[in-house]
Amino acid sequence: MRSKVAQRILAETPEETKIFARLYADIVVRVNQLLKAKGFSQKDLADKLEKRPSEVNKWLVGEHNFTLRSLAKLEAELGEPIINVPQRKPMGTTGYVTLYKNNVINTDVPYTSAWKKSKSNNKTALANVS
Amino acid sequence: MYFCLQTNNKVNIFALEIWDDEAAKCTFYTVKYDDAETNETDLFFEKYDAIAEYKEANQELLSFVLLSIGNDHGAIDELFNRDENEVKGLPVQGKRTIENITYHFPEFPLRLYALKITNNIVILFNGGIKDGPTNQTSSLHLEWRAACEFAKRINEALQDGTIIVNEKHRKLTNYDGSDEIIL
Repeated sequence: MRSKVAQRILAETPEETKIFARLYADIVVRVNQLLKAKGFSQKDLADKLEKRPSEVNKWLVGEHNFTLRSLAKLEAELGEPIINVPQRKPMGTTGYVTLYKNNVINTDVPYTSAWKKSKSNNKTALANVS
Repeated sequence: MYFCLQTNNKVNIFALEIWDDEAAKCTFYTVKYDDAETNETDLFFEKYDAIAEYKEANQELLSFVLLSIGNDHGAIDELFNRDENEVKGLPVQGKRTIENITYHFPEFPLRLYALKITNNIVILFNGGIKDGPTNQTSSLHLEWRAACEFAKRINEALQDGTIIVNEKHRKLTNYDGSDEIIL
């Protein structure tokens, strides 16, 4: 169940408002999680960005809006994408396909040249062929 | 300082009820006074939906709660703004602290108070307009006091086993297993 008041207001909410709220939360979460993963303190990040720690703090707690430039700086320092823009590529003679770039995931399996001798199953009963 | 929950001549008994359990990652509860027809969270959203100046902010906040927290991320720390300085004054014991659901956008005017039980269970209270540097000096200080008192009572009930957290089913139950929780 969902509150009827919430249902009504959400139904009246313009789509752009919903998209904006979700995108903004996604960016805040992504930036904070990257910082955590990289072990950066706000001061470390401020030093790298040549900003004052208080200014970086305002980004991270939401008092300052992210700009495209500030996101680019963050992405450069954190070394991982924060936002991705899908690209449209022609497909066939008239069609198009939208490509979403995913993070590159290393799926390589380390090669090992050591062969293991498989165990013979001595318990298998042999058929009587005599 | 201890604040008794007798504001607006309301009785000091309230029920915990589900506000939304349709979101993919989080169940939201709310509180309703014993003698009230409407729960506190609906009162908040209805109030600011009716004020033209705050209608859009209200819609954004609701989208943030139901879509970003509810569907996309759950109640993760990155989406909760803990005003630690203010929380220190709370009469709340235990690990849980009352938190603003702060929509992460500059100068966002609305604050909705919440108590995070787990990443998948959140209790929403009322809120208001943050028009001062702290909750105590903003016009929403009465809602903040009430939220503190709700949180205190809920925390006590969680600690003494009156309320059981059912993480598997993402819900809260009464000690006897029923869904009706009156505090």
